[in-house]
Parts: sequence; C-alpha cells; structure tokens
Amino acid sequence: MAELIGGLGTSHVPSIAMAIDKGLRESEEWKPFFDGYTPAQEWIAEKKPDIAVVIFNDHGNSFFLDRVPTLALGVADEYRPADEGWGPRPIPTFEGASEFAWHLADRMVEGHFDPMLCRELDVDHGMQVPMELVFGRPEAWPVKVVPILVNTIQYPIPTPQRMWELGELLRQAIESYPTDEKVVVLGTGGLSHQLQGARAGFINPEADREWVAKIGADPARYRAMTREEYIEEFGSEGAELIMWLVMRGCMDAEVKTLHKHYFAPASMTGAGMVLLENAG
Amino acid sequence: MTTFLLIPGLISDGHVWTATRAALEAGGQRPALADVTTQGDIPEMARDLLAAHEGPLVPVGHSMGGRVAMEMARIAPDRIAGLALLNTGIHAARPGEAEKREAMIALSAREGMEALAERWLPGMMAEGRAPDPEVLSGLQAMVRRMTPEIHARQMRALLARPDAAATIGDFAGPMLLVVGRQDQWSPIAQHEEIAALCPQAELRIIEEAGHFAPVEQPRATAGVIADWAAGLPQAATGKEPAMSQGDRIPDTPLFDRRRANAGYELNKMAMGLSTPEGRAAFLADEGAYLDRFVLSPEQRAAVLARDWAEMVRLGGNLFYILKISAVDPTPIREIGAAQAGMELQEFLDTRLGKVTNG
Ligand SMILES: [Fe+2]
Repeated sequence: MAELIGGLGTSHVPSIAMAIDKGLRESEEWKPFFDGYTPAQEWIAEKKPDIAVVIFNDHGNSFFLDRVPTLALGVADEYRPADEGWGPRPIPTFEGASEFAWHLADRMVEGHFDPMLCRELDVDHGMQVPMELVFGRPEAWPVKVVPILVNTIQYPIPTPQRMWELGELLRQAIESYPTDEKVVVLGTGGLSHQLQGARAGFINPEADREWVAKIGADPARYRAMTREEYIEEFGSEGAELIMWLVMRGCMDAEVKTLHKHYFAPASMTGAGMVLLENAG
Repeated sequence: MTTFLLIPGLISDGHVWTATRAALEAGGQRPALADVTTQGDIPEMARDLLAAHEGPLVPVGHSMGGRVAMEMARIAPDRIAGLALLNTGIHAARPGEAEKREAMIALSAREGMEALAERWLPGMMAEGRAPDPEVLSGLQAMVRRMTPEIHARQMRALLARPDAAATIGDFAGPMLLVVGRQDQWSPIAQHEEIAALCPQAELRIIEEAGHFAPVEQPRATAGVIADWAAGLPQAATGKEPAMSQGDRIPDTPLFDRRRANAGYELNKMAMGLSTPEGRAAFLADEGAYLDRFVLSPEQRAAVLARDWAEMVRLGGNLFYILKISAVDPTPIREIGAAQAGMELQEFLDTRLGKVTNG
C-alpha cells in the first residue's frame, strides 16, 4: 500500500515566484525567507516521494466566477502553469498522478466528498510556488502531482471542519492505494494577509507564529474555529489557511514538527511553513 | 451602517412610527427617532439631525418631517442614502395660510392641547370614513404630550419653510413617496408633483388612510417602507464603502453573492486580460475593450481611473482586477495602500513595516 511520508504546510504567495523569476533568491530582502525552506528541501530530497498531493485554491486563473467548484480534483496526466496576466511562468509542466487521482476520486465520492473532476487544468501560483519552494527549479519535477483545489474566494467557502475531514479521508485513500509509492501532502496558502478593502495590508505575525508553532502539536483550536474567525485573525485572504487543515487532518494525532519557519512580510503577506511527520 | 431616521410631523412623536420602526428592525435595518420639537425653523431642524445622527442616513419624514427630510438632502446630499416622504408636499405657503396657522396657534395658546386635538385631528383623518376610535385616541394622547410652545414653534417653522420645489429635483438618490388615498391635507397630487421633479421616485398610495397614514394603516404603511428599505441598492449607503453593509468584520469586504453579482462583469473584464489577445486589445484601445463588457458607468470610470478602492467597492475582486496591473504595471502594495487610503510609505510603515524572520 502507498505510504504517507509527511505533511508540509506552506505559503504560496505569488511574489515568491516573482522573486525567483527575478533572481532575487540571494537578495537581502528574500534570502532569509528562502533559507528557511532549506531543511524542508533537504528532507524531501532524502525521502524522495513519488506523489505530491497539493491542496490550494485557484486565484481566478483557471476558474472564473461563471462556475465555482467548492472542491475540485485534478485527474489529468499533466498540468501546465497558468497565465495569470503576465504570461505563463517558465517552469516545467507538472506530471499528473492520474491513476492515484482517480482512486482518490472514488474514495472521495464514497466518503461523501463530491469534487469536480478536472481533466484539463492549468495551475496557478497556488500550486507552483509550494512546488518550487520544496523542489527548487528542476528540469523536470521529481514527483507526480495531484491538485486538490478549494474555493476560498467566493463565499460560501467550505468550513475548516470539512477541510479537516477531507484530510482524514485523504489519509485513508493514500493507505488503500495498492502501490508502494510514497506520498507527501502539501497544504498551502496564507499566512495572514488581506488584499481587499480598507483593511488591506493587514497581517498578524503573532497569530501566524502561533499557527506554525501549534498546527502540528495542538491543532484543536484551529479545527474548531469558524470561517469568520479565520478572517478576523488572519485577514480575508488569510482564510486560505483552512487548506493546511487538509494536510493536518491526514496526519496522525501525534506528529513531530521537524521544522518550522516564519517570515513577514513577504510582499503583503505573513509567510511560512511547517514540516510534519507522524510520531508513531 | 445606514440609519433610517424617523422624523415626525407637527406636534407628533414616536407614536407615528411605532409600526414602521418595528418593521424596519425586523428587516435588519437600524431605525432612529428624530426630535424636531426644539428648533425654530426647518433648516435648523435639518442641521440638528445631521449633527445628531452619524453616518449615512435615510430620512423618513412624515408631513412636516418630510420637509425636514428634503432640507437634509439639500444640505448634505452625500450623507443621504435615500428619502422616504410621507403625506407631505413641496409647495410654498399659500395665500391665507399664515392667517389660518396663526389662528390655530392662538387656539392652542388659549385653550390648550386637548382643544387643539379636538379641532385639528378630524381633518387629518381619511375623508368620508369614520375614524377608528383607537387610532383617534392614540393621536389625541400624542397631541396632549406636546405643548402650545412646541405647536407655535413648529407652525411658524412651517410658515417660513424653505422652497423645496426649487431644490428637491437635485436629489438623485432613491426616493419613496407615500400618501393616504383620502389625505385631504396633503393630497396625492402633491406627491405627484414631487415625482414629476424626481423621476426615480416610487409613489405608493395607502388605501383607507388620510394624513396620518402611518397611524391609520400602520401595517400597510410600515410594510411599504420596510420593503423599499430592503430593496435599496448597497451603493446608496453614501459615505461608507458601498458594499460593506452586512460585513461583520470592519473594512473587510467578503466576496459574497452580492458582490459577486455586482462585480461579475467587472471581474469578467479583468479575467479577459489573462490571455495575450485580451491584453493586446486592452492596450490598443482600452475603451473599446471595456465596451465588450456590461460595466456600469461607475465601474467603467473606476477602471479608467485605476481606482482600486472603488473597483472593490463596486464588486471587483482583487484576484481578477489585479490582472489590470499586469497590463498597466502597479505594485500590489500600492494597490493595498490605495484601498487603505494611505500614502505608500505610511501603509508600509503602519501595516507591513516590521520585518520578522525565523
Ligand atoms: Fe492564495
């Protein structure tokens, strides 16, 4: 059976991608941010997962408001980088783990999660940035991917509790997949930020630090919070953090936080990551 | 949030608005009662109310209260999100009006409010219909709560009333006109006169009611007002960000169905910039590109002006409208600062200033 090797929570701020594109990795402004990801890169290079399940939201790039899937699952063989207005970024196409994705589709629907299934899909910075943060800029990505997209833009967005339950189901799906492939789960988005309204520019580094400190060891509060509380505490777009709960929900109750990192502001966002392994 | 300011007429009080107040509250609106018993003229009443009640207002005025409401709209049109005028008019003092009013002032001074109520109220009730005893006794009690001084002051304020006919046509916001079918004092024709000057006005007639429609037919009148209030466009809330009503987290416009609907074409226009063809068309002739979408004049102006706060106010969502900044480069932090209403440096210092790492 396939194996869940660990969970990663990370920001997917688009300015991270721009910084990479502009060669600012080593700049004074960005170096401390990127350096914080080195342990996760080393971990993943050593563990060599076969499949990365990436939970993210589309930011008005692949889906318009004409149809808004609350939950969408990619079952494609490949995913190209989306044109977000600046042209597609020069990164490799992602190879889809379509066999596993179809297995996941079966398991999700059996478990009463009903995603939209996507056979042709471009993926935006929500998936690109996390992949670059943990795998760098390879010629070809060393893993196959399964994108899971969550609507976090148009209300109603799904509840944090539902995200956690999706994580639990994802765990079962991984462990009932009849190969010996290794799977890593990336929950992405956040941390605190707000792009809209007079509160634009709101960040909450204190709450963010607590989040990266506690999402592994003591996530009960985050699981119980309402959507509104997420918005209040982390900003309107900071509510993306609910997607980390999918990752956290698929891990054991007891986890080891192998690494955590926080940096603010990345452009207008509190940015950071955690790397979790099951304790048992 | 907008306040629905309930303004009573001559020697009236909150009794007139009991049902209206309850209906507005039931609809999730915020009503408040105006006091116009102390001021010497209508402009002073209007100024007092504007000072006493904060934020965007919808004055709901009955009779003389309607005159005050119109004066408020003249003085501070930006704060008036709508006008509801009941049993009122815009005509100037008519020949003989001064004499009649002075005679009534003399009556209340000489014989008191009870006598005034007896003399005055019958003419205010629906013509040709025996007044409901309960309605009548409620109004009598209300008149008794007033004093001859208040009566005299308000009567003279009415005699010196501003020329609303000359100014009401300037008010372009939502307007509701309500009149009793049998109002002998302010007949339907007076409201049609207002409607002729304000084509946006909605005229509603209350059956089996006279000059005190909100008291004679409380349910029907309150229902008309509450329905109109519920249908007011969010953009009518004046100074506050038009779409923040209903948002529980301050200054945080959740992209809910109302905004998604209001901003659909605006966001669709921006979504079109995620293709090279769309971007080329926008750059070649922005006006022609915008014409492909059904933008409101306000939305179009906001796009042309690159007014980010306004685009968001009109239903734009940053993830879409940000694509405009791909064609006409604007750093995201400047877009943030513009929405926060700050200079960039102030925005960076106060919101994003402190670098924290590790
Ligand atoms: Fe995001």
